[in-house]
Amino acid sequence: MTAVDPETRIPDPIDLDRGEEARLRAAAGLAPPSAAAGSEYAGFELVGVPDRPLQTEREREMYTLEEGEMLLNMGPQHPSTHGVLRLVVKIRGEMVTDLDPVFGYLHRGIEKLCENATYTTVLTYVDPMDYLASMHNEHAPAIAFEKLFGIQAPRRAEYIRALVVELNRVFSHGLMIGFLALDMGGLTPILYSFINRDDVVELLAAISGQRMLFNFFRVGGVNWDVNDEFLSRLGTWHGTVMKSIGDNEKLITENEIFKGRTRGMGILSGKQAIAYGVTGPNLRASGVPFDVRKAHPYSIYDELEFDVITQQSGDVYARYLQRIDEIKQSLHLIDQIMDKMPHGPVQAQVPGIIRPKPGRAYGAVESPRGLYSVYAISDGGPTPYRFRMRDPSFISLQVMPMLMPGHLIADTMAIMASLDPVMGGVDK
Amino acid sequence: MRLLVERFPETARDLWTDEDTVEVQLPRDAVVETLRTLRDDPEFGFFMLADAAAVDYGIGHHFEVVYHLFSDRHPAWLRVRVPVERANPRTPSVTSLWTGAMFHEREMYDMMGIVFEGNRDLRRIYMSPDYRSFPQRKDFLLPDDAADSSAAGVNPLERPETWDLTTFSRELTSSAATYPPPDTQVDVPAEAYPHGQESADKSRPA
Repeated sequence: MTAVDPETRIPDPIDLDRGEEARLRAAAGLAPPSAAAGSEYAGFELVGVPDRPLQTEREREMYTLEEGEMLLNMGPQHPSTHGVLRLVVKIRGEMVTDLDPVFGYLHRGIEKLCENATYTTVLTYVDPMDYLASMHNEHAPAIAFEKLFGIQAPRRAEYIRALVVELNRVFSHGLMIGFLALDMGGLTPILYSFINRDDVVELLAAISGQRMLFNFFRVGGVNWDVNDEFLSRLGTWHGTVMKSIGDNEKLITENEIFKGRTRGMGILSGKQAIAYGVTGPNLRASGVPFDVRKAHPYSIYDELEFDVITQQSGDVYARYLQRIDEIKQSLHLIDQIMDKMPHGPVQAQVPGIIRPKPGRAYGAVESPRGLYSVYAISDGGPTPYRFRMRDPSFISLQVMPMLMPGHLIADTMAIMASLDPVMGGVDK
Repeated sequence: MRLLVERFPETARDLWTDEDTVEVQLPRDAVVETLRTLRDDPEFGFFMLADAAAVDYGIGHHFEVVYHLFSDRHPAWLRVRVPVERANPRTPSVTSLWTGAMFHEREMYDMMGIVFEGNRDLRRIYMSPDYRSFPQRKDFLLPDDAADSSAAGVNPLERPETWDLTTFSRELTSSAATYPPPDTQVDVPAEAYPHGQESADKSRPA
């Protein structure tokens, strides 16, 4: 490093920060910061360490470094953290030894907002939570509110609901596959995934009017009946979707590089998955056949025929195969729903402002990321007294500190992508 | 559920049953032991913690921690309600039974200020670490509700010292910063802070 005259050089932002810190410390009557002032490493050694006393046992374990370890900060603006997730990674060389996920960069307080909104408007607030599964986000509150209010959606409405959530599941799983490949450096599959997603999104826009935040469910039914444009698009899409899935599979499933980087990586056993609260495809890829659609059938799922698919190995590759199989299962369900759909109204008679009797209700659905549930309490007023959402990706991310030790830094993103978190849901 | 009340006559109180949920109430001292039995006893088989939520019943009332459990042997969700005093919001942690309760409990601590004894990572999860309020309590009002508040015209969004920037920065840099707030203080030994020359040097690449 060449010596620079301290008088003439442009001040480094880190030095400015340190000056500010020194000034604040002096104002508080404390000694100046002790850490290696003047060293060329000044400002670098504490990257990632919280700027405050460490509070908990786990935090001290994570942020106390041993010989040869250092902290690496990924995110919240890292291109492959699927949003604004921040991971503090403790590494020894290239090997990850510990990991601490940090949340809250997208926290909007949706639960609190919903407690101040009427039952009808709650269904619009939950849309941007898990933004790749908006239909599922609306489904669970709709179920919970109908229980509270003691009404039943018409059967045609239930069939339309099942149809749109299965379509949503198809594109959500498709995107997960694309992102998984992208995070391991394969650029092509994500392009195909987005092409396929666009077809489904246009399909859902034809029935709901919007491409992403559908606002389609109502308490006691759905907003619109199926229309001609939707049916014609569905027919076209259905004719090509198997081929596009096959194309994607040809690119990935037997790809040597993909297999080499995913098999035997991030292995999650069934017992661990249950203990950590992992649900959905991630749990089934570990061999536990838990699916809310079978375990607590809601909507019309007890009238449909489908299998709960499981994989045995519980690694990243199994989670990928699980998504492929579930897409096929969803297409199978869509066929049955279109065959069996009855005629009739799509919306029950519901007053403009809903005031359920005091009570409690729990509504749970199987979202593409797992068990998504809503616990709603009514005190008889026009707004829910308490509105609690359990987002599956928030809970699934807990396994990251357990899965990562022993893997390389480059595999962090592959393992995280295989859990398929969506930060809108994680941060609520 | 009849079975449950038969097995735990002293602790469990049967509240109601609807088509797919069974509800019981437990005192907080009995939570861990009862949930352990519910999880491990093959007669119950509630192996999965589906949800854990905190509810605030308002000033003058109590908090409540609500667990939803899933069993493959019973056709209903089990809802376990645990009342927690508002003046002393402490309840035992269930992370020893389900590791996955960790984030649930961190969220409840962050949003409601309920302290889970035995949780080894009880810190804020959504709000920033220097945040002082518990936003999902019912006495934390949104700006729109200011007119409804007991002191109409004054917006009691936060404790005033949080908005005082001079105090705020002094708290940040002072080693005597009281975080968590005094009523929820977790004991942290002073020697545990790794800031200093020694740990800094170790982090350098050799």
